[in-house]
Amino acid sequence: MSDNSGNGTGFDFEITLDGEKVGVRRGESLYEVSERHRKEIPTLCYDPRLDAFGACRLCIVELDGARNPVASCTMRAEPGMRITTRSARLDMHRRVLMEMVASENRDTDVDALSGYASQEMAVLLDRYEARTGRFAGARSGRSRPDDDNPFILRDYENCISCYRCVRVCAEQEGDYAISVMNRGFETQITTEFEGLLGDSACTFCGQCIQTCPTGALADIKALANADVPGETKKTRTVCPYCGVGCSVDLLSRDDKLIGVQPAMDGPANEGALCVKGQFAFDFVQHPDRLAYPMVRGEDGELHETDWDTALDRAAAGFTAAVENHGRHSVYGVASGRAPHEAAYMMQRFIRGAFGTNQIDNCSRA
Amino acid sequence: MNTPSDAELLAKWREEPAPLLPLLHEFHERDGYLSEDALRAISDDLRIPIADLFGTVTFYHHFSRKPGGLAHARVCTGPVCALLGANELLAGLPHAHAMPCPGRCDEPIPVLDRDRVLCGTTVAELASRPSPLPPAPHPDIEECVFAHIRAPGRATLEGYRATGGYSGLENALRGRPGSLLDVIDASGLAGRGGAGFPTGRKWRAVAEAAGEPKTIVCNADEGEPGCFKDRALMDYDPHAVIEGMIAAGFATGAARGFIYLRYEYPDTLRILETALEEARGAGLLGPEALGPGRPFDLWVRRGAGAYICGEETSLLNSLEGKHPFPRNRPPFPVTHGYEDLPTVVNNVETLASVPHILVHGADWYRGLGIGDHAGTKVISLSGDVMRPGNYEVPMGFPLMTLIDDWAGGAPDGRKIQAVTMAGLSGGFLAGEDIDVTLDEPDIRSKGSFLGAGGIMVFDDSRDMIEVAHSAMEFFAEESCGKCFPCRIGTQRLTERLHGDGPPDIAAWIDEVHDLGDTMMQTSACGLGQAAPLITESLIRYFPDRVSSHVTESA
Repeated sequence: MSDNSGNGTGFDFEITLDGEKVGVRRGESLYEVSERHRKEIPTLCYDPRLDAFGACRLCIVELDGARNPVASCTMRAEPGMRITTRSARLDMHRRVLMEMVASENRDTDVDALSGYASQEMAVLLDRYEARTGRFAGARSGRSRPDDDNPFILRDYENCISCYRCVRVCAEQEGDYAISVMNRGFETQITTEFEGLLGDSACTFCGQCIQTCPTGALADIKALANADVPGETKKTRTVCPYCGVGCSVDLLSRDDKLIGVQPAMDGPANEGALCVKGQFAFDFVQHPDRLAYPMVRGEDGELHETDWDTALDRAAAGFTAAVENHGRHSVYGVASGRAPHEAAYMMQRFIRGAFGTNQIDNCSRA
Repeated sequence: MNTPSDAELLAKWREEPAPLLPLLHEFHERDGYLSEDALRAISDDLRIPIADLFGTVTFYHHFSRKPGGLAHARVCTGPVCALLGANELLAGLPHAHAMPCPGRCDEPIPVLDRDRVLCGTTVAELASRPSPLPPAPHPDIEECVFAHIRAPGRATLEGYRATGGYSGLENALRGRPGSLLDVIDASGLAGRGGAGFPTGRKWRAVAEAAGEPKTIVCNADEGEPGCFKDRALMDYDPHAVIEGMIAAGFATGAARGFIYLRYEYPDTLRILETALEEARGAGLLGPEALGPGRPFDLWVRRGAGAYICGEETSLLNSLEGKHPFPRNRPPFPVTHGYEDLPTVVNNVETLASVPHILVHGADWYRGLGIGDHAGTKVISLSGDVMRPGNYEVPMGFPLMTLIDDWAGGAPDGRKIQAVTMAGLSGGFLAGEDIDVTLDEPDIRSKGSFLGAGGIMVFDDSRDMIEVAHSAMEFFAEESCGKCFPCRIGTQRLTERLHGDGPPDIAAWIDEVHDLGDTMMQTSACGLGQAAPLITESLIRYFPDRVSSHVTESA
């Protein structure tokens, strides 16, 4: 049972949160404490994996003794603080802030396949009834349709300058491929010298896409499947491409794989993926993929056949090799593109059937 | 002289403290712009990711990224110069472009021509001159920081010593740091850059904070439009600033310091560097500056054109070579400042007051103010007054006496319509509210603040919508882009003052109030919190003009 009283184990001191005394661990922000108590404080620039930044100001709370509301994400809880997370004043500021944000973008609603966090802004616009059209004026951000990379859409006309992409690139991925140029309303997410992502230090890991709260950065490969009919289903699994074991959610409609999203709670990756885990899924439904067994004929060409024929041919070949050269003449390499179950079968097969440990996987690196 | 190679420039700076800005300036000067090759060389050498370095360079107004860009003149189109024909002057200078107020409002219109400042209201008049001295003081008033500023040669070490300079410090160095802290505390000296934080308390916090080395930073990024007092102090009394910094170093146990100087003061840069050389030569700075085995040294670092770098945490990021966004506070610089170590950040005027306090004592300084107000304040007065300039007044001095009696009032017998406070940041005072005394409590009671003490005067011929629009345009251009309310709000307010808002007056005012309210209460730093004072005071004092503006724009 969790202990929120502050008197039990795990807490260092207490603060008063919406009139209730709650326990705090030293170093926690007011936002973190509030979230533990499900206060549902709105944010747009916040990503729990990143250093708190304090840009969007939506997470403001009332702090007794402070003239203005304070940003709860950047303010550390101190013993005895008294804070209020909901009030008429806070609601008013949050609504005005959301109206301001909506006024600078071309679109306030984007396809959910754009990315993991892509609906954050739209959800808050509804929550604060901020689709009023107030504060109309110039829009910020220049999209980069010239960047023809196949993975990351750079539609900065929908950017709200929260810098989550820049921060995730630096703090999580360590690539430092993107940064902020200019100032104020002219602020623009950029690469070195305003170039293409492909010419930058970008590794196309896609983390910028998945943390973007507006879909300004979007998953081009998933969006290509936007018209596939059906409900989107998420299936949690582990990326097979290497030994790290990143958790992913496969997005599918009916029996069609339409995209991949990293699992933010994946123990090995905490939302991180690499270019392969994020984007290299289209082999699954690729027309070149073998859909039936084939054997090589007298003419040297491959011909479609039935499973019994194909397996008999394979068994004969293996048996001949082992008889002529011994059990260690066999070496199995499983494909990183095969399902985990198949990889497991493969190693059982090589070890059990042949009695050799010469089994490997292309993902071992 | 041989042109230095990349390798030579990098070798010259890489081991120096805070090397990024000087390196960028060296390449900028050498090549006339910042080329891609130059940035890549610096990025490799200082190990700053190239995307970060590129983004950071674009943050600054004066770094040119196009060949030949440095050579293009920059013309002030700030609020005061705009009244005097800055836009016509700009049009008459080929390749010139506009810059925000560079702090020469007492001698308009300044044009920055590489490392020279020219002044004149027409192209033919433009000439390089030493910056104006403060006007002669009123005989009944005792000055502090300006007491010796008009003495010939005061800017040299010899001249400074001849008028009592460094004697207070030398006395203090014979005592204990604690005694020095007590004197500063007792004097009532408070930050003269605008925030008004008690200087003694700040120094004491740094003295008591854990972490070495500690740093003294002089905030000489005087970027507020209509403020030019620090320029006068540094141009004519640079050793007073240096002496104040050494005293701060002794009081706090700091071993190093920086003067962060705004880009637009190239003459001041040379003056400060000469003064630092003199001080170093005399042993006032260096390995034994604070006593045997107690080093203290100072470096000047030149900014590159960014108003927000006058905000102390943005300044610290800029010094460290980072993107100059303001930092989240707390923690404050007194514990987590330069390189995350305890740091004093003081304004030029604050530091320049210290030597006078050391000589004359805490009671003397406290007694200079009127009533309960301690000390003096330099007011930079400009715009529609007969004698613009820097005036040092007792704290609590009546503004109208300063404007009418000292500065000659509005020219041509015109009436004063409005004044700005805190440069632009305090918005406008007009009508009876102009009759304030120059101290924070009185000015704050009118919904404004004194700040760094820049006051621009507008007579009744000026269109206050136009003035407000150009002010808000300045804030929008200088907004750093980090927090939403300021980044979007300054833009939206500028548009509404330009005539692009809702055509209905009630809706217009509703939008402007809501934007202003949220900016004031939720912005992350002073820029966004203060900018709406322009629109709020405009609506308060000039409702009819606001109404006609909205109707005309519809």
